[in-house]
Amino acid sequence: MIDTPHTLTAIAVMAVVVYLTRATGYFVGLQLRHIRGIQPVLEALPGCAFMAILAPAARQGSVSEIVAMACVILIMWRSNNVVLATCTGLAVLLIGGHYFGTS
Amino acid sequence: MTTSQSLLHGIRTSADYFLSTFIFGIMFGITASAAGIDDWQAMLMSASVFTASGQFAALEFWQAPLPLGTIALSVFLVSTRNILLGMAMTYHFDGHSLGRRIVWLFLLNDPGVVNSFRQDPRVDRLGYVTGYGISMMTSWLCSTFLGLSGAQLFASLDLGAVDFAGPLVMTTMMMLFFKASKAPPTPWIASGLAALSLFEIGSPDYLVLLGSVLIGMSLAIFQQRRRRD
Repeated sequence: MIDTPHTLTAIAVMAVVVYLTRATGYFVGLQLRHIRGIQPVLEALPGCAFMAILAPAARQGSVSEIVAMACVILIMWRSNNVVLATCTGLAVLLIGGHYFGTS
Repeated sequence: MTTSQSLLHGIRTSADYFLSTFIFGIMFGITASAAGIDDWQAMLMSASVFTASGQFAALEFWQAPLPLGTIALSVFLVSTRNILLGMAMTYHFDGHSLGRRIVWLFLLNDPGVVNSFRQDPRVDRLGYVTGYGISMMTSWLCSTFLGLSGAQLFASLDLGAVDFAGPLVMTTMMMLFFKASKAPPTPWIASGLAALSLFEIGSPDYLVLLGSVLIGMSLAIFQQRRRRD
C-alpha cells in the first residue's frame, strides 16, 4: 500500500513534467521564430513524432493489430471519419485478438 | 472570429476525439483501480496530468516504494511529442497575453493541435485548441470516473487486445495531418523509416524518437531551402 503523501508527490511530479513538455516547446519555438523559413519545419515536427511512435508500434504489432491499423488508414483516407475509423479498428482488435492472439 | 467563439468552435468540432478519449479514460480508470490507487487520487491524476499515454506509463511503475525518478522519466519520454506540438503552435498563439498563454497551454492536446491546422485562418488558434482541450478534459474525467466505478464489472472482461488503441488513435491524427498538408510528406516518411531502423538495432525509446525526429526535421529544412532557391 502506498501512503497518500507519496502518491500526491508522484502526481504532482507527473503534472509538472507534463506541463513543462507542453510549455517548453512553445517558448523554445518563440525564440526560434526569427529564423527565416522555420515555420514549415516546426509544423512538420508533430507528424515526425507520430511516425517515430507509430512505425515501431506497427513493426511489433500482431496480425490483428496491423490489420486494425490498415483499416484505420483506409477509412481515414476515404472518409476522414475518426469515430468510424477508431471503432472499426477497435472491433478488428477485439475480434482479431480472439482468433490470432495479441503480441 | 473572437477567442470565445473559437473556443466554442473547438468544443463543437471535438466530438470524434471526445469518443476516442472516452474509451481510453474507461481503460485508465480500470487500470488505476487494479493498481490500487484510490478513486479520488486517480481522478486528481487525470485532472492535473491530463495525458493518457503518460498516465498509463506511470501505472507500470506504481508500486511501493514509488520510484519517483523512473515515473518522471517515463512520463517525460512519452510526453516529449508535446514539445513538438508546442513548437508547431509557435506562430499561432500571437495576440494573447503571456499569462493567458501560460495558463491555457495546460490544455494543449494532440487532436486539438492537429485539427487546428485544418481550420479557417480567421479561427483563433489558442481559443480553438483550448476549447478542444476542455472537451477532451471533460471526456477524460467522466470516463476515468466511469472506469473507476465499474472496475469490478470490467475486470472480468479481457481488454488486453485494446492496448493497441493508442497507436490507432495516433494513426487517425497522422492521417488528418497527411491529408491537410500542402507540403510533400517526405520528412514524415523519412522519420518513420529512421524510427524503424533505430528500433531494429535495439536503440532505447528516447533515441528512436530523437533520432527519427532529427532526420525528419533535417529533411524538412532541406526541402524548405530548395523551395527558397
